[in-house]
Amino acid sequence: MLVTWKYHPRNSLLEKLDPRARWFFSFLVLFSIIQFWDVRFLCFFFALVMTQYALARLTWAETRRVWTFILIMVIGIVALNTLFTGRGGTTEVLSGGHIIWRVEWNVLGLSIHPTITVERVWFAFSQIVRMISISTLFLIIPFTMDPRLYGVTFRGMGIPDRFAFSMDLAFRFVPTLARDFSTTLDAQRARGYELDKLEGGVVAQIRKMAPLVVPVTMNAILSGEDITNAMDLRCFGLRPRTWVHKLSYVRRDYILIAAGVVILISSIVLKMAFHVGDFWMPAWALTWAR
Amino acid sequence: MEKKSLWEFGTREVVYAAIGAALYGVFSWVTNFLALPAAGNIALRPAVAIPLFFGIAFGPWVGFLSGFVGNVLGDFLSGWGFWWYWDLGNGIMGMIPGLIAAGIVSYKAKETIIKAEIFIVIGAAVGILVPSLLEIPFSGIDLKTAIVGYWLPAAGTNIINGLILVPILMVAYDAVVARSGR
Repeated sequence: MLVTWKYHPRNSLLEKLDPRARWFFSFLVLFSIIQFWDVRFLCFFFALVMTQYALARLTWAETRRVWTFILIMVIGIVALNTLFTGRGGTTEVLSGGHIIWRVEWNVLGLSIHPTITVERVWFAFSQIVRMISISTLFLIIPFTMDPRLYGVTFRGMGIPDRFAFSMDLAFRFVPTLARDFSTTLDAQRARGYELDKLEGGVVAQIRKMAPLVVPVTMNAILSGEDITNAMDLRCFGLRPRTWVHKLSYVRRDYILIAAGVVILISSIVLKMAFHVGDFWMPAWALTWAR
Repeated sequence: MEKKSLWEFGTREVVYAAIGAALYGVFSWVTNFLALPAAGNIALRPAVAIPLFFGIAFGPWVGFLSGFVGNVLGDFLSGWGFWWYWDLGNGIMGMIPGLIAAGIVSYKAKETIIKAEIFIVIGAAVGILVPSLLEIPFSGIDLKTAIVGYWLPAAGTNIINGLILVPILMVAYDAVVARSGR
């Protein structure tokens, strides 16, 4: 069992950008997206994040699993929301509307009547566009950001030295701990432990995970004492740290951050000053009503 | 005996937060990779016991970072993107049980385990509630969907996993503490 990061150099434009600029841009766009329920504006953001996705040079094989996960989650949640609870973040879809389908079910003596209206369907569509846009905005990060740069990136974004170093250290520990896990799994299998054939109820099955979880965790804790002593002997934390990798902004990074700021300010102005961006539905959609 | 400071973040905490995060990330990835068996719709995600336990053993900051960074690592290893509010929720889940860390004398004492179990339930419930509620403004769902679709299944399975595995880890850790003298 070999643990590998999803990142590998792809020579893409995104990799040439400073990771801090990319984080800032992503969060600025995120807070811009959540200003809108109007699908016309959401389509702009959808196009923007898809452009970013295209620039990442990812293959379908690499991202197929995550796309499946996102689509199942988004469609499942939106279906539940649309069918049974009816509305979301906007009041326009709260009640009434033009009915497409309505049924009355009797479940355990309780009368429930799922209703689908044109407004709810259009709202669900807007929700799907918005949720996929937000997911795609951050989906590319594990594939396009070098794990060696996370510590220095978060330090550069203002996180205290010790917290940033702890994050950096966590990324470095992963291969070692994955190897320890693999060794422990092999040792337990040699003793007759069958991970694939855990039997019993939920409680029994979880309890039977202990022969794997406990030795790996305790072994890691014991080795942690040695690492702590070694760091203390080297006077860790007495002065601000220096980092092996150095990050510096260049013109394209400033342009990216400025673009994010402009998008966010424009979104807020459109929403607050011009009152646009709330839920919108085309008139022709009403023809769906029965 | 030296009195522990609850919010201290020295060298020891830096190292154990990193170890907790890496363990949580690796166990999460293994859960996905090996496709562990599940009963009904309850997936076995034993990894959640790690931030809960690291919080109890090393304090709230260690629990928070183990949960937050560990969830980031697990998603990165599996290639599932970056879900910052779920990472935050996992961090809070590890932080809350950490509030009892300073007062623990014996990790295998009955009263310590009961106290830990109570804080595990609170930690998992509150920790998962935060991202579930944040889904309302981000995804546009309503409160009922957030509770039924996100909070109940996620918090429920985390509580079950935590209640079973964390006491086992605490008893094992008690022996480690006795051996190392820390």
